[in-house]
Amino acid sequence: MMDPILVTNNVLDGLLMGLLYSLVALGLALIFGVMDIINFAHGDFVMIGAYTAWLLAMAFWVDPSVTAIITVPLFFIIGIGIYKLVIEPVLGAEPLIQIAVTVGLGYVFQNIALALWHAEPKSFPAPWLNFSISAGGITLSVAKLIAGGISIISLYLIHYMLTKTKFGLAVRATSANREVAPLMGINVKKVYAITFGIGTALTALGAALYMSWGQTNPYLGQSFSLLSWVIVAMGGLGGVIGVLYSGLIVGVLEALGSTFITPSARLAVVYLAFFLLLWFRPRGLFARR
Amino acid sequence: MALSEWVRESRKYILGTIILVLVLAFIPFIIGFDQYLLLILSTAAIFAVFVVAWNIIGGYAGQLDLGAFAYIALGGIVAAQLLVVYNITPWIGMFVGAGVSAVLAAAIGYPTFRFGIKEVWYALLTAALVVILNNIFHLPEVLGSLDHYLPPANGWYYLKFPVYENIYWFILAMLAIVVFINLWVSKSKVGYYLRAIREDELAAEALGIDVRKYKLEALVLYAAILGFMGYVYIVIAGTYSYHTFDSPHSIAIAIMGIIGGLGSIAGALTSAITLKVVEEYLRASIGATIPGIHLLIYGLLLIIIGIFKPDGLAGIYESLKKRRTSGRKKISGGGNP
Amino acid sequence: MSGGEEILKVENVVKRFGGITAVNRVSFNVRKGEILGLIGPNGAGKTTLFNCITGVYRPEEGRIVFLGEDITGLQPHVIARKGIVRTWQKVRPFKKMTVLDTVTVGALLRTNSVTEAKRKAEDILKFIEFPEDKFEVMGKEITLIEHKLVDLARAIATEPTLLLLDEVAAGLRPNEMERLASILKKVNKERNLTMIVVEHVMRFVMGLSQRMIVMHEGEKIAEGTPQEIANNPRVIEAYLGTKPL
Repeated sequence: MMDPILVTNNVLDGLLMGLLYSLVALGLALIFGVMDIINFAHGDFVMIGAYTAWLLAMAFWVDPSVTAIITVPLFFIIGIGIYKLVIEPVLGAEPLIQIAVTVGLGYVFQNIALALWHAEPKSFPAPWLNFSISAGGITLSVAKLIAGGISIISLYLIHYMLTKTKFGLAVRATSANREVAPLMGINVKKVYAITFGIGTALTALGAALYMSWGQTNPYLGQSFSLLSWVIVAMGGLGGVIGVLYSGLIVGVLEALGSTFITPSARLAVVYLAFFLLLWFRPRGLFARR
Repeated sequence: MALSEWVRESRKYILGTIILVLVLAFIPFIIGFDQYLLLILSTAAIFAVFVVAWNIIGGYAGQLDLGAFAYIALGGIVAAQLLVVYNITPWIGMFVGAGVSAVLAAAIGYPTFRFGIKEVWYALLTAALVVILNNIFHLPEVLGSLDHYLPPANGWYYLKFPVYENIYWFILAMLAIVVFINLWVSKSKVGYYLRAIREDELAAEALGIDVRKYKLEALVLYAAILGFMGYVYIVIAGTYSYHTFDSPHSIAIAIMGIIGGLGSIAGALTSAITLKVVEEYLRASIGATIPGIHLLIYGLLLIIIGIFKPDGLAGIYESLKKRRTSGRKKISGGGNP
Repeated sequence: MSGGEEILKVENVVKRFGGITAVNRVSFNVRKGEILGLIGPNGAGKTTLFNCITGVYRPEEGRIVFLGEDITGLQPHVIARKGIVRTWQKVRPFKKMTVLDTVTVGALLRTNSVTEAKRKAEDILKFIEFPEDKFEVMGKEITLIEHKLVDLARAIATEPTLLLLDEVAAGLRPNEMERLASILKKVNKERNLTMIVVEHVMRFVMGLSQRMIVMHEGEKIAEGTPQEIANNPRVIEAYLGTKPL
């Protein structure tokens, strides 16, 4: 029998990871929901973001999470650039072509990273936040607590932006009907570019937070891509709330798989759940209807 | 489809395949049986087999399968374990491996197509399948973390040799067979139905096509070929482990298929052999200073083709041909083999 | 001409989407050899009814009986094999297949031989007067009227007993409509193919069909010869009143 305190500890840890996953997946959900682009390179933006955070942390000798101040606006601009260069030409193309192009983009990112920094994992050697606090037998990483907190705040801000601002209204109108939106004076191409920028910026935020305790390698993006898509599938485009719940579920599933089977099988548990979800609830767990 | 009808319809392509394979088979004599070059050629040839097999599910049926190594590794490991544990010859083991992979494909494919999962979700599902099997085979009860080796013995009984030319020729023979299977699919009722499904599922179903059944058949055929070739892949790789469930290479197979042009056998062959040979060349020449340079090129090619030439190499060839013969009436057989 | 046996019986079919009843207790029969017009304003439930008959949707209530067999809720490909085939309001071409191959796909429903199917496809394309120099052109490279003809040809190639045409005239110019109408009449007469023609281009359907049904807000409000329909006060009020002949 497993020690219940250990299990609780791991589940709490999983919930914190889940918040971070939600943050990253929200970027993907926005991109997929608003412009119907199938982005297989989303996780690779996280990977590039992680290297950027690591480089800046090494240069200024600050905790990687602090570098988000620079990487988030930087990636917003990079995101818009990539959108103009690669994504806009395949808007409305067959899914297969979109997948091909974004897989190609991911390959380019991975191998730029491999060429520049090689395969050995990189991490910041002196993170300020990588210590733990304990209470009643439960031990949690401060870095993960802070990452979870910032993730929640960011999710709320995006939710607020989508529901309460004029730009949010334009985003929702575009995602509801991209033929009618332009008739209402919405510049669809601009909405797309900004949405892609925001989606990319969120990966940079997630990456910077993650680097406070984690390490990156050129292939970090692959699991982030798949996990983000699993969360989007579960969330069923049910808005920020759906993404949040789905991220938490994924985080907990991963923790349970890691605890009860073995850490190397944690992804298998999540993906098996993904199979069952697609087969039996193809509209997601939190679909709006 | 009757055999004679198939031969008549595909005569040109059958002949072309035989000539191509004979030319490829002759290369070892030109390069003086250089073992390193033969290893590269064998790798390129086996990837050509994989990509041509992928063409059935990806090119004809239009399902973006990213799970090739689920079937390659499973079939290969089954045959390897049969040899290692029970000393059963791979000549039997490979058929068992093909069967196991086919059963897995049917078990995954049935609910997947039953519930209408396609496009991005199908791609994700198949990508996830490789990771799931990778994780399962990593468990200590299955293969654990260690590399496993085939028995040291060599010879046709083990389909394993101290030199590469034999396995290279064996792969070429398989390549010819898999191309013939493709040609047969392409020219037969199944091929017409799969292409119709790729173009428009709803319209295809309204014409009386059992979409699920045909997709499943394509998937199972693809998986069986991959499962059969798995053992040969392990022979070339030298070892097997949970790493044999290889996600990046699974995606690479789909990429080569897309670059070649969906549904085009010639495109699949060209793109697999060229890309693999260029890859090995780049790895050997500048790979030490710039690792991953070949994959970087894959990525760029994919973006460029996706944006400018979604029909791939086959599309480029077609438009060149059209420019040359414009004005003249075009006569062609079925499809676009 | 319209006295043939009844091959299709639609009995009290109901189809709802959420709170909206798209088709409400609709019943009608189709007789062998006739062209039956099905008209009604946009949103009247015509296409939904089509989708119920062809198995795209499963109706909540009612039965659909074809050649004496209950086919309610069968899968679309099973219904097509039994002999009900449709065309589409928005053309659904096989863009990367040639015209001839597209029609061959239809013909393969009744044979396993590609050679035979191809021969049949050629015959049908010639029969509907499709330009022969375009047999080998890709689906993405032909005009709208040609798309409609290919759509029609691949449906005929499956050797249906009953052909459902969903707004075939939509988007066509008047001279193209005339061409299509004469082809449809020829198909009906020479191939003895029964048809239901859903349409809201009135002139087209009036000239084509021997009998008509009018739907409005999910219900059948009238049935009769084109002459009777044109003079029916309920039809004029519900439909023709807003869209004169």
